[in-house]
Amino acid sequence: MILGGQSLVSSPPVFSHDGKKLLVCTGFTVSIFSTSTGMKITELEGGHTDRVTSVVVVPVAAPSSKFISYCWTSSLDGTICYWDFSVPELIKKVKVQLPIHSMVIPNISCTPIGSSEKTSNHYAFISVEDLTISADENKAFRGQIQIYNLTKSRRVGGLLAETRKPALLSASKNGEFLGITNKRKLDIWKIPSNDFRIDEIKKIKLHHTKKLTAFAFHPKLRMVAGGDVTGRILIWIGVGRRKFSGDSQATNKKKNLTDEEKPGVRNNDDADSCSTWHWHPSEIKFLSFSSDGAYLYSGGKEGVIVIWQVDTGKKKFKPRLGSPLLYFTESPDPSLSCVTCADNHIHLLKMPTMEITKSIAGIKLPFSYPVGHKGLCTQVAYDETAGLIAVPTEDYCVQFFSLFDNHEVSEVQVCKRNFQPVDDVTLYLALVSVSLDGSLMGTVDVKIPEDGLGGLVSLKFWMRGSRIAEYSLSTVIYEPHSDAEISSLAFRPGHRMAVTSSFGGDFKVWIHNSYIKSNDQLHQRTGWRCQSVGSYKGRPMTAAAFSADGSVLAIAAESVVTLWDPDSNLLVAVIGDTHSPITSLSFIGNSEYLVSLTCGSTPQLAVLSTSKLRLSWSYKLVAEALSSSRDTSQFAVLVLLNSQDKVEGKENGVILLFDVEDPVPVATWMVKKAKGGSVAFIPANPSSDEIKAMDGEKPSLLVYVNGDHEYIIFDPHNMDNRIGKSSRTSQIALEEAGLAGMLGYASIYGDLSNLNPKQDQVPEITFAPSERPWETIFNGSSHVLPPLTKLCSTFLASLIEKKPSMSE
Amino acid sequence: MADESKPFFPVESAHHVKPPPPRRPQSLTPESRFWRSFRHSELASGLILPVTALEFSPVAPYHVAAACSAAVHLFDGAASPSLAPLPHSPLSGFSDIAYSPSFRCDGALLAAGGESGLVQVFRVDKAGPPLRRLRAHGRPVRVVRYPRLADKIHLFSGGDDALLAYWDVSSEAQVVSFPGAHRDYIRAGSASPTSPEVFATGSYDHTVKLWDIRVPPGSNPFLGFGHGDPVESVLFLPSGGLLATAGGNVVKIWDIITGGKLIHTIESHNKTVTSLCLGRIKNESPSHDGGEPRLLSVSIDGYMKSFDFSTFKITHSMRYPAQLLSVGFSPSGNARVVGTSDGVIYMGMKKRKRQEEKGTNAASELDGFIPEPEKQVLRPTNYRYFHRGKSEKPQDTDYVIQRAAKVKLAEHDKLLKKFWHKEALVVALSQKSASSVAAVMEELVARKKLLKCVANLDVDELGLLLRFLHKNATSPRYARFLMGLTKKVLEMRAYDIQSNNNLRICVRNLKRMIAEEIQIQRTLQEIQGMISPLLVIAGR
Repeated sequence: MILGGQSLVSSPPVFSHDGKKLLVCTGFTVSIFSTSTGMKITELEGGHTDRVTSVVVVPVAAPSSKFISYCWTSSLDGTICYWDFSVPELIKKVKVQLPIHSMVIPNISCTPIGSSEKTSNHYAFISVEDLTISADENKAFRGQIQIYNLTKSRRVGGLLAETRKPALLSASKNGEFLGITNKRKLDIWKIPSNDFRIDEIKKIKLHHTKKLTAFAFHPKLRMVAGGDVTGRILIWIGVGRRKFSGDSQATNKKKNLTDEEKPGVRNNDDADSCSTWHWHPSEIKFLSFSSDGAYLYSGGKEGVIVIWQVDTGKKKFKPRLGSPLLYFTESPDPSLSCVTCADNHIHLLKMPTMEITKSIAGIKLPFSYPVGHKGLCTQVAYDETAGLIAVPTEDYCVQFFSLFDNHEVSEVQVCKRNFQPVDDVTLYLALVSVSLDGSLMGTVDVKIPEDGLGGLVSLKFWMRGSRIAEYSLSTVIYEPHSDAEISSLAFRPGHRMAVTSSFGGDFKVWIHNSYIKSNDQLHQRTGWRCQSVGSYKGRPMTAAAFSADGSVLAIAAESVVTLWDPDSNLLVAVIGDTHSPITSLSFIGNSEYLVSLTCGSTPQLAVLSTSKLRLSWSYKLVAEALSSSRDTSQFAVLVLLNSQDKVEGKENGVILLFDVEDPVPVATWMVKKAKGGSVAFIPANPSSDEIKAMDGEKPSLLVYVNGDHEYIIFDPHNMDNRIGKSSRTSQIALEEAGLAGMLGYASIYGDLSNLNPKQDQVPEITFAPSERPWETIFNGSSHVLPPLTKLCSTFLASLIEKKPSMSE
Repeated sequence: MADESKPFFPVESAHHVKPPPPRRPQSLTPESRFWRSFRHSELASGLILPVTALEFSPVAPYHVAAACSAAVHLFDGAASPSLAPLPHSPLSGFSDIAYSPSFRCDGALLAAGGESGLVQVFRVDKAGPPLRRLRAHGRPVRVVRYPRLADKIHLFSGGDDALLAYWDVSSEAQVVSFPGAHRDYIRAGSASPTSPEVFATGSYDHTVKLWDIRVPPGSNPFLGFGHGDPVESVLFLPSGGLLATAGGNVVKIWDIITGGKLIHTIESHNKTVTSLCLGRIKNESPSHDGGEPRLLSVSIDGYMKSFDFSTFKITHSMRYPAQLLSVGFSPSGNARVVGTSDGVIYMGMKKRKRQEEKGTNAASELDGFIPEPEKQVLRPTNYRYFHRGKSEKPQDTDYVIQRAAKVKLAEHDKLLKKFWHKEALVVALSQKSASSVAAVMEELVARKKLLKCVANLDVDELGLLLRFLHKNATSPRYARFLMGLTKKVLEMRAYDIQSNNNLRICVRNLKRMIAEEIQIQRTLQEIQGMISPLLVIAGR
């Protein structure tokens, strides 16, 4: 069982004290990456049972203790752990009981390890969620800020503050101040640095007229920068001179009050002045002062880091990071820092030039398709042989992600456009398909017309280069089905052939050919061109699939499945009649069965037999995804449970593993975040030793990718490896539900499994197209049809031939 | 892995078919670069009559002798930057047309034939009457050659009377003579580079013969073979084992050691090849002594071709605006001259850096000590002090950090980058490139800003847009998009259009264009109607 695809960006990453490692919260664990290579070194696992929310690295003072590397981590499971992350080893665990959303340990820098032998008390400020108050209450204060003595593992004092939601805590560099954003104000506490006493903590508030989203403390001066939802940055200077200064400056304070104007400061806040900078067009996501305090870094949703010179307000920019920004972290090494992007990437920046030296890339997140988009979009495509998934991304790329190694392999830019994260979606990758051997890729991108003008669908074919997942553009086809949208794209196994089906009522078969242009020199050119066009009664074509050996092409024409010979473009047979349009089709391995998924008002999972040309069995299920294994006769379906309550973290999907002969599922698994998920069979990775340990044959594994692009790989046949509870009860419940939902033939006569042995005996007669030519003769597009006179004679001839065979 | 943030993508139109990448000029090969590095000029243009022969002196400073009309012109090979006539040039001791100048191996003497049949020997370094006159030929002497090796007293000559004579120059006496050496005019000859006694002659009787004066006259010529065309030029290749002959359109290369076997035929000229000479490709690296040898051939068709006879490939080709008769290449590798039928000598010169270096070296060797070049120390009082090091070139060993290449963006791309949408559209419209306008429009659609831009255009800019639509709305590449846009523009800006006279004219034009287009469509439909039954019949 392999887990992967965790989010790297759920909370800010932290550099180790020497700047050579980066600690990133990844799900239940903390991953440690090398900043020089960008590769993962190790992982802190086993300590937490829920998402890790913050990491605090213990600083070192003496050079002798350089090798000591400790950190504190907090998690939603209500524990704080103390790790030695060089080993890595869990040293200590502190139980808080409440889910911790954020933790800072401000005093930690004042008493670094190695400076004094006696262990001083560490006080952690944690932001927890009070579970006793339910979320439904409108004005309830669910967030609390508590103080915890980590050395003695007990809580100190009362609540520091209460907020509506658990707040994100932030401390200044020297550990003197601590603050949170609280709607339209900043709450700032001064923490006594030497002798910590709870009653010495003083608080001030800074007010603003907009909701504040980010703030930062100046490392040296009493300066606070705050950013709001409109993109303004407010700089308060001289914060807390009145209240935080000791009594010795009382006279000064009075003077300040009487003599000086306080420009820009609202509500008689405790600050000398407040100025506003404005560049960002949208919400500010992070603010960070450079370590010397000369520059302020700010970033927002539009994906541009702005470097403000604090004294003058002059700006420099680092544009085109391609995604909304989330956090900015400075390392102890002044030439290194990192910026976290919302697309699950952490970019390491070389500092004065802001050049990206390395990227730590997680799997990119799914994006929402614009309204008005018809048909299915590819959530993920699989390159099964290489164990990769291809993820279409919001910034017009296809990201190839290695499932077994859990890291990005490459990224292919499909549309040459700059992505603006703030803008509305006007261009998106609708479909991505990778051929079985991974040598070909097809993408469909759609440009949304503006008021009916300028819409464009383009189909692109890519050829793989010498390395895995390195594709180069081969052919671009603009408007392949004039202005109709493409519903599916499939490659023919073993051939350089692809099919696209469109809602406009036709499908096209594309072939790759290389031709030699001989006008002056030998000039070889290759490209894709349309070989044939087909349609069935003008109905919209909604799905397409090739059989495993590539000999049959199945196209779903709304509610029926049409089978074609891809070479001669002849309609071979028509199967089935569902009530709603079919959205997905798949041939099951080397068996003669075909699975179709139907969505809409009457959702259906139907297994069709191509030898009998009829429905074999079906269920009334809302299926999200479908995958069939290539060598066996099994297939897996991801089914959405239509549970009414939308509580997060609850299982809302089931993976059903069927054998094609038997409508009773072989196995079931409950899964979370099934909406937008997908399943696939992939061959086992020969390099992984876990698989080698098992018997010699190569089993195929099932991979499940959920709606957040986290994935799990497991062996569907090995009981030990199953995820979740493979509880008998749920399986039985499903069976009952399934049987009740059976349709048509199956609902009357039950399953057809006892008929199957007969079919196995006569597998040669697959489609028998010549028996009923009158069905197929007149089908096909007009330019393919021969003249009527010719058709007539064959039609009559077929009737004549039929008679003796019937009499026999 | 994204090691760099995304570059800026300039807009490009989906409908714009990219032109194939322009064919790279052939200057890519180092060979072509070498040949193009010569600075071209006309050496002498007032000669009017054909320049029948060009010959470089074998020793420095490599003077050039050019035979033209009744004189042999001498040019100073040491003159810089281009060759200049020597003060005593031309040598005009000829009563009729001069032919075939040939330098002695030490470059001190020059022999030339003439229309009168007289072969004369001159001093090269100063003017004066001919030193020797060799009389034997009764007809014009077109071939006079000194041996290339250290033989200073002999030469051979061949004339239109088919007589081949081997002379002892000092005594003006024939050592050997072969009357009737060929059955037609002898027009070509070359001395072997390996032995002073061997030479080859070519004649209009299509044959090439090789002679060795050491063997008894009875066994001469020791070798002969037929070229197939009247032979215009014969040249021994540096090894002495290969012979190149030119005649007709072809140049042939023969192996004389194996008894005259044809090795290769170069058929790259379209007209008669008139002259051959040896050139050398100088590599930049000084380790190469002379560089690779090349065979240069010139032809009446105006082309000079460089042929690599080690790989048997034409490596470079050069066109001149006249019929070429003669070619010469300086042994220093710095100069190349080509003579034409209308009396123009084209010259190509390289900068002579190495020459100068050699000169200084030679001087220092003579003096026995190397004078330190006096280096002026720059002081802050000097203006150049503040500019020192500015034009410093990197050494070979230096690690050069290139400044990042500046990305060139079109004006509309720059504006799009700044999100100045309307300005970008106006700039593209005023540049009059339909594809870039379409690209900008498509980009604006992708940003959902096109209609806002159209609404914001002022009257002049709207006129620009309407004129663009008038021109391109019916072109099939953009029609689908632009027709819709035209409709939208007219709907949105109806009020402005009505109130402005110029815009009304634009709209009238648009109307006319649409009427024309409808007419075309109708005609096309008619044609389609006529053709489709024919196709159906043909299909049967």
